[in-house]
Order: sequence, then C-alpha cells, then structure tokens
Amino acid sequence: MTNGENIEVLAAEYALGTLDAAERSSVAARRQRDLALDWAIERWEERLAPLAETIASVEPRAGLFAEIETRIAVRHAATVSRIQVVALEHSMRRWRRRALTAAALAACLLLAIGVRESMRPQVPTSYVAVFQKDDASPAFLLSVDLETRVLSIRPVAAQPQAGKTYQLWIASEKLGGAPQSLGLIDDRDTVTRRVLEAYDPAIVQQATFGVSLEPAGGSPTGRPTGPAFHAKLIPAPR
Amino acid sequence: MAILLQRVANQDRRAFASLYAASSSTLYGIILRILKRRDVAEDILQDVYVRIWERAVDFDSRKAPAIAWMSAIARNRALDERRRAAVGLVAVDANAEVANVVSEDEDPLAAAEQSDTLRRLAECLNKLDKNRRDMVVLAYRDGYSRQELSQRLARPVGTIKTWLHHSLIQLKACLGQ
Repeated sequence: MTNGENIEVLAAEYALGTLDAAERSSVAARRQRDLALDWAIERWEERLAPLAETIASVEPRAGLFAEIETRIAVRHAATVSRIQVVALEHSMRRWRRRALTAAALAACLLLAIGVRESMRPQVPTSYVAVFQKDDASPAFLLSVDLETRVLSIRPVAAQPQAGKTYQLWIASEKLGGAPQSLGLIDDRDTVTRRVLEAYDPAIVQQATFGVSLEPAGGSPTGRPTGPAFHAKLIPAPR
Repeated sequence: MAILLQRVANQDRRAFASLYAASSSTLYGIILRILKRRDVAEDILQDVYVRIWERAVDFDSRKAPAIAWMSAIARNRALDERRRAAVGLVAVDANAEVANVVSEDEDPLAAAEQSDTLRRLAECLNKLDKNRRDMVVLAYRDGYSRQELSQRLARPVGTIKTWLHHSLIQLKACLGQ
C-alpha cells in the first residue's frame, strides 16, 4: 500500500467512525499537522454526509440551550481568570525587576537572563472549579491545594432532596478513564474536605471533576448513575 | 444556516439561538443514535454546541454546507465518547433502547424522499455486496467499531478491516470524486 492509499483508507475509516479510541485520538492529533490527511478526512466526511439524512431527528429536551449558554459563559469566565492570573504574574515580575537597584547592574543583567529563561508562568498550587448548570440548578464550589492535596467542596445553592445525595467524582485518562468516587458531599452549606493522597498532583490538575445526584448512601454501582455536571480546575486568582 | 453560522463566528448570540433551533434536533438524532442513552447524549450535545460556538470562525461555506460541518463535529464527538466509554465502562449498547438496529428500519436507503446526493450515494452503496453495504451503513449511523462489526456480522476483525478498505475504495471510485 502506498502512502497515498494509506492516508486515504485512514481518513475514510476515521470519517466512517470504525477506528478504536487510540487510533481515533492519534488521527485527530495527526490531522492537526498533516494537511493531506486533514483534507482527505474532510472529503470523506462530505462523501458520507448524505447518510446522516437517513437518521431520524430527535427533539432534545427543553432547557438544554440555556445550559449550553451557561457552559459557554463559564468557559469564558475561566479563560478570563486564567488571563488575569498570567497578567498578575507578569506585573509581579516587572515589579521585581524595577526593585533591583542600579548598583546591582551586573547581577541584574544575569537575573534578567534568568527571568527571560523562566518566562513560563510559575505553577500555581491553588485551583478552583465551579459547578453550575444554570441558575435553577445547584452550584458547588470546589478548591484544591496541590501542595497539601486538600480538596474542599461546598454546596452554594444545592437544595438537599429527600432520599438523594450528591457524590463527587474524579476522572482522567491517566486514571483509566472511568470516574472514581471521591465520596459524598455533605448537604447544606458546609465544606466537605478530602485529602487526595492517592492521586498524583499532575493528574489532579488536569482531571475532570464531576458531581452527580445519587440515591442516599451514594451510587449503588460505583459509577455515576444520576444527572451529573462536570468542571475542570483553573488556577485560583491570587 | 451558513449565514447564521457566520454570524455566530462574530459572537452573535441571537444567531446562535436561531442556529440551535434550526439544527439541534438533527444533531441530537445523530448523537443519540450513536450513544443510545439520553443523559449521555444530552451532555455531548451541549458540548458540541459549545464547540460550534468556539469554532464557528473555522467554518468555510465553500467547503461544506453548514449542517454537514456541524454534523461532523457532532458525529466525531459522539464517536469519541462511544469509544471512550467502551474502554472504561460497560459497552454502550448494554443500556441500549434499540438493540437490533438494522432490522428496525426496513431499509434506511429506500426512503421515498431523498436528496440528490443521498440518491447518488445509495446507488453506489447498493453496488456493494449486501453485508458490506450493511456494514458501512451500520458503522456510519450507529457508530459501530470494527470490533463491534466483527461481532455483529460474525466475521473476524481482520476480515472486517479488509471489507472496510475494499468497500470504501470502491465507494470512492463509484462516486467519482
């Protein structure tokens, strides 16, 4: 098989959808830098697209659009606070540079080189995540200190429902993909704390956290069973 | 819809609401058929519209119709989820409302009302052997992996892989594009 045919078949199977999880993510990554592959996938998507006409439309439940708008607003807020944190670090660095006196010019030069070398923002240790679907649904505020590995979660507007409880989950591809329980969340406005000693801070930082509504006592299956919402950590504004 | 999508690229929220109203049942149908479970499909649908909002600037009306562009995002996201779930959790179809999918619709390609492009594609698909045609249709509409096709059609994965490659190359030649 020549390389051209190879790309063609890979693109066709990606567009058709028959590749497994690992192959799909490898093709998705490769198309970012391989324009021939990217173009071939688009062509195949176009060839097969008429088949979508044969799939019956299904009306999603009302209220979903409001939740989409909330997700977009939350993502926007997360981006903004990330930008603010970086801006804050830059001004700190500027301030530090200004504080150096002319007498230490030689040292300053050396340091400036050092500063340039360390232009990457310092790794923050304190992270937060906000869980909220829309104004009517419960909200939770989660914070994690990666240094002490202490996680705190507080219901902000969660109405405890009779016979139900909220359960906290962590999921990461590095943890096998399936959500793992971090325990039940105390009702009312109290803070629930957990020490994540079993988890690598690097994994925690990238992980997805989820809160699901479960029967009293927690999920009977060890996996989220009820309606859930998800959030990822962002650095806490300092 | 292409005009709406171009307005969405300029962060026009009202256009986004109109786009959602015009397209959500199509995309939800596609996602639900692949993922079977409403709770999972709703979550993915939300994610798909977040992506549409964020990536609308990438949409090029010369390359593909708006609905095809959005459907590709929806299908890819649903397929990723189906494959991810198959690795980490129980097989998606364990909870499926519809287990026997092919026989559910008499023949998905025989509908009376078809667009010209679908009629053309159906002609080419109908030139394939029946089980190969079913394989392609099942993979596209229901999101079957090679592994699942192998179980479903009671053939080794290697055979499915060969069938897929031959069928797709034959299809491309027939469509002549």
